[in-house]
Amino acid sequence: MNHKKPILGEFGLPQNGKHMLGSLQYLHAPMRKFEEKDEVDYIIVGVGAAGGILLQRLARAGFNVVGIEAGPFWDTERDWVSDEAGSHKLYWEDPRVTGGSDPLALGANNCGKGVGGGSVHWAAFTPRLHPSDFEVYTRDGVGADWPITYRDILPYYEQLELEMPVAGPAYYPWGHPHGYAYGPHPMGGVGNALIRGCSALNIPVSIGGPVAILSGSHGDRPHCIYRGFCIQGCKVGAKASTLVTHVPDALNKGAEIRDRCMVSRIELGNDRRVTGIHYFDNDGAAHFQKSKAVIVCGYAIETPRLLLNSACPGFENGLANSSGTVGRYLMAQAGNVVLGRFEQPVRMYKAPPAHALTEEFYETDPRRNFARGFAIQTVGPLPIAFGKQMLAAKKAWGWGLRREMMDYNHWAAFGLLGEILPWADNRVTLAKEKDRFGLPVAHVSFNLHDNDKRLIKFAKEKTMEVMAAAGATEVVQEARYAHLVGAARMGSDPKTSVVDKFGRTHDIANLFVCDGSIMPTQGSANPGLTIQALAARTADYLISQGTRIFNSDVRDMASPPIRRELAPPETWGKGVPRLND
Amino acid sequence: MKEAPEKTVANVDSALLPRDLKGVPLESRPTPGYYPGFSTLSQSAFWDHATRRVVTNRVDSTPSRQFFSAEEWDFWTVVFAHLIPQSDRTLDRQIPIVAPLDHRLFINQTVGYRFENMPQDREAYRMGHEAINKEAEHRYAAGFLALSYPQREMVLKAIHDGKPEAAADIWHTMSVHRFWQLIMGDAIDAYYAHPWAWDEIGFGGPAYPRAYTRLERGEPEPWEVEEERYDWLAPEGTVSDEVRSAAHHHTEADQHKA
Repeated sequence: MNHKKPILGEFGLPQNGKHMLGSLQYLHAPMRKFEEKDEVDYIIVGVGAAGGILLQRLARAGFNVVGIEAGPFWDTERDWVSDEAGSHKLYWEDPRVTGGSDPLALGANNCGKGVGGGSVHWAAFTPRLHPSDFEVYTRDGVGADWPITYRDILPYYEQLELEMPVAGPAYYPWGHPHGYAYGPHPMGGVGNALIRGCSALNIPVSIGGPVAILSGSHGDRPHCIYRGFCIQGCKVGAKASTLVTHVPDALNKGAEIRDRCMVSRIELGNDRRVTGIHYFDNDGAAHFQKSKAVIVCGYAIETPRLLLNSACPGFENGLANSSGTVGRYLMAQAGNVVLGRFEQPVRMYKAPPAHALTEEFYETDPRRNFARGFAIQTVGPLPIAFGKQMLAAKKAWGWGLRREMMDYNHWAAFGLLGEILPWADNRVTLAKEKDRFGLPVAHVSFNLHDNDKRLIKFAKEKTMEVMAAAGATEVVQEARYAHLVGAARMGSDPKTSVVDKFGRTHDIANLFVCDGSIMPTQGSANPGLTIQALAARTADYLISQGTRIFNSDVRDMASPPIRRELAPPETWGKGVPRLND
Repeated sequence: MKEAPEKTVANVDSALLPRDLKGVPLESRPTPGYYPGFSTLSQSAFWDHATRRVVTNRVDSTPSRQFFSAEEWDFWTVVFAHLIPQSDRTLDRQIPIVAPLDHRLFINQTVGYRFENMPQDREAYRMGHEAINKEAEHRYAAGFLALSYPQREMVLKAIHDGKPEAAADIWHTMSVHRFWQLIMGDAIDAYYAHPWAWDEIGFGGPAYPRAYTRLERGEPEPWEVEEERYDWLAPEGTVSDEVRSAAHHHTEADQHKA
């Protein structure tokens, strides 16, 4: 074994005084600071996947914009570690209550905290939704239709795939076929197993992406080093998060981020327009920031919680909740993990967890007894996560657990990603208990319905079949859920939705919601790309409206053209293959 | 980084040791498992500063008791010795589980949610302590700590199986399978966070800024080692070596049903 030290000595402390965003990039200039008495143009509540994009676009267009973020503004060299147990601060750890017939695990499973939000700890799979996803109700009589079509979001998919950027195959056959401008990643042991299993069953498979992880160095972001700690935050800076892709440009263009600040309430003025937000800083001191408009980007639990906690005269059931749908139609995807044991070692901790997938079962198939479908993807649990999977999948404890864990290097893991439909009884409400600021915490109730259960059963069996076809001698599974969307959905009808097709609340002309919570359905694609594409689209709309948002209740419902020149420098104009327009 | 001594320290009771296929107890070792000589800590000079600090701290300084009473500490020490037994490890290389748990409860760090049929974590540990003792009294007319090793295993197996016979009042307000998930989760969090456990299972550990390079065929990096398997049996009479592949269920809520 090699006990040598690095030629240049031990890797030391990060460069003195620099705020690092990945191993090369750092913040160059001091951040602009607005005064509380200044009436800023936009406040963005939550600087995550969507909030980071909005902050960047609005700042670049010249608006005065402040992002208020509950968690820290990470210095990735100082704050992040290649260690499962040491990464818990990346996740939302404040109290919540989860229940219903099928309670969702929250925290590390799906909720980020800190600048970058969930895009800091996502595995970075970036499939697009399919055209069918935007008309699920029309096609299948279940779920809901979106107020926009695939054609509306397509330019933003193409744009964000360049800005992140996304690595993947040159030909991606499902949904609206397309290709990726950045090359696919090499295969790890899990991806090889997925290719073997799919090929044996004649199932097409996408190799090496699409993932928002750099396969080659890009500006001041280096390429992936295959260290496997994607969901513990990418210290390398190779995996896209808005922290490294959009926040630096936002700050260069004059945006401010107030980190470790928890927004408690949105203030409504006498004219049914919002006037600013109340928040607590890290020391617990209360503040009020005035603004001309507010965009809530808190994701599928904190967004409805903030609207419900902002109830006031005229909106007794929650701000912008005249429809009663704030908090309803919450969705998670089925995320059963299928584990296969192989005679030959796999060592699944190497390579990004996300590196191969198939969407062959994505669409509704009339031969099956359920609507919609699922994807099968690689996952790469590290030891603690794998231990908990052995606990769930094999009831392992004591000596049995020790024995299973000694075989860690022989296992590969696939995750199915199954579409669960939006149901009114899956919802976020306020619990009786309060957080450290005295704010009622979120209660999440989740219940599977018949279509969901039939889909999960079929998907689980198909995924196990693929694992067996890959050559696994033992195949087990852990049932779980992945991702969160919905709970403040967009729609054309103000009676059944919270926001319009641009994310503007139906009830209040200068209050917007933009994050995963506005999605009416979710498909079986990981939501990260769609959330960022929706944010870029909303940004173009806001910019096209100039100052009208600030002083008029009139709604212009015409879609503006895409503004590619608002992307961070050097991220657009390189062309993207379009194989089947 | 200092290396642990390779000497063997006498263990408590050879009946609690894993055995070879002939039933002969295997001597305790500094590093059990199939990767002889592998040491993630030997590579710590190649890790980034923040990671090196967090991982070496975990090895070098074990938090002292702040949350549990002395009695609770002793009680949970015995429980966790069943949930993740370590008799195959020499005493100087056993991995602390109760200490990091005590620290977690002291600072009230949680996973960020509570199941609605569960109390807060601190309360769950207090109630669990009482329920386990009541189960012991019910089955063997003595407190948990006074029981023999196999008796204690049967008490814990009742909770593992979701079929405790005593303390109905406690299990009425606390889900038995969520409680099992909680204590096993804490055991796994502590044991498999430790680099000595990474050595045991052949996990390469931190690899920034150096990178992993042999991705495809499960082959070791130049600084990792090849697997050398050996067969072993769990200690005689233990019931915790049984696993049950539960493939029939498909939803999380059904996962725990027997």
